Amino acid sequence: MIAALNGAFDDISKAMRLHRVWIALAHEDIGDQHRRTTLGPLWMLVNYFAFVGTFAFVFVTKDAGNPSYIAYVAIGMLVWFYLTETITMSVSLFQREASFIQGTTLPLFVYVMRLTMQCIIRAGYSLAGCVLILLLGGYGINTNWLVSMLGLLLIVLATPAFVMVFAFLGAFFPDSEFIVGNLMRVGMFFTPVFWVYSGQEGVQKYAYRWNPFTYFLEGVREPITAGIFPIQALAVTGYVCLGLWALALLLLGLYRKRIVFLI
Amino acid sequence: MTSITLNNVSLVYRLFEKLTLSAPGRRRSALGGNIAKSGTKQVVQALDDVSFELKAGDRLGLVGPNGAGKTTLLKVLYGIYQPSGGTISIAGKVDALFNIHIGFRPEATGRRNIVLRGLISGWTAAEIEEKMEEIIDFSELGDFIDLPFKAYSQGMAARLAFAAATALEPEILLMDEWIGAGDASFQEKAKRRMDELAEKAGIIVLASHDDALIQRVCTKKMTLRAGRVESLT
Repeated sequence: MIAALNGAFDDISKAMRLHRVWIALAHEDIGDQHRRTTLGPLWMLVNYFAFVGTFAFVFVTKDAGNPSYIAYVAIGMLVWFYLTETITMSVSLFQREASFIQGTTLPLFVYVMRLTMQCIIRAGYSLAGCVLILLLGGYGINTNWLVSMLGLLLIVLATPAFVMVFAFLGAFFPDSEFIVGNLMRVGMFFTPVFWVYSGQEGVQKYAYRWNPFTYFLEGVREPITAGIFPIQALAVTGYVCLGLWALALLLLGLYRKRIVFLI
Repeated sequence: MTSITLNNVSLVYRLFEKLTLSAPGRRRSALGGNIAKSGTKQVVQALDDVSFELKAGDRLGLVGPNGAGKTTLLKVLYGIYQPSGGTISIAGKVDALFNIHIGFRPEATGRRNIVLRGLISGWTAAEIEEKMEEIIDFSELGDFIDLPFKAYSQGMAARLAFAAATALEPEILLMDEWIGAGDASFQEKAKRRMDELAEKAGIIVLASHDDALIQRVCTKKMTLRAGRVESLT
């Protein structure tokens, strides 16, 4: 166990020294996806506005025009899109990086950080859109935003762990790429991204209370939309983050040298 | 002092049955080598009891049929595969020429691809800067260097990949087949570059099916069969 953890930390520290590699590759990945378009990466901002607009003004008509609901959806979408994209792209990570893994000695964590960086850059565009929506909705910048930033920071800290856990899952269980993709699509309806929980019984109650993603969302959203310090949400997010990292380090330590035989 | 010492190195890995819903026959991934039973599990013996010692000036040619373990041994020496038994001791900076096109991005310019290639190879910013003009000159791409890689002809792409991949100063050079690129005149230039590279490297390990090449370049020859050393001369 100790040897495995040492191996994992060694891989991570080598990858962090090679930060220029994963930062450069992540930027190229983002650039390649939009290189032939007129708007370039601004399409990510357009996509975000389109989704928030659809949910705020069309899909949930009863709350249309309510600025607090628009803010609720805007933050919910920001976090949910980030988590969905990170998780679904992670499952096939090692397969996508097969030629590098089989042809270079780059530490495995380089690929984890490449994807993490990509997801953070993409989320940066959505974040800009979200901030604009909040400001237009009358949510002036105040100290609550700092608490919200803390929630975002916890999610960012959890991201490499999410990536590793799901990347190993995808390497050992290839079908998980489709299972996880479908679960995340369905998961949007079981997570309070666009619906508001106000004490209902039944499925919504369980979907709200027992869904860890609820706390990821609320840790970022509640400080701004409800003006409260979301102690429970931040605590659960923190525990999930620690649990994910423990699992991720174990997987990296035990299996990083075996991945080359699996892909 | 550059050296490579392998003592009883073996590489055995479990033939992993992926957890998948597909038919049992499609669940395994294997590199090649001998498949054997170990209890209820199937294992692949990719290398078995491989020992040799190389010192500065040695050029080792690896020969043998497909699946003999030549590429596997190179990847063990490079550190991609971790041996499951025996010991490896390597003194010197190891560089490998396995896939010269690795990391090249079609949408990026030739110049940007050189930077990316350098980063992947572990070069510092100063080293990339220092080698940039030399690589551009060698590849003979001229103004094309600032066009996207996808706009290059096959020959131009191969020249850039070759120039970037061989801009090394290795102490130990591992090669899976001798590489060349481009038209007849560039091939002659590439051959000279490879000869220079081989001359500069302290130790070379070259896997090839070309006996004449092994005779020309190497001072030692190791024949592998089913992961075992059949002969070392």
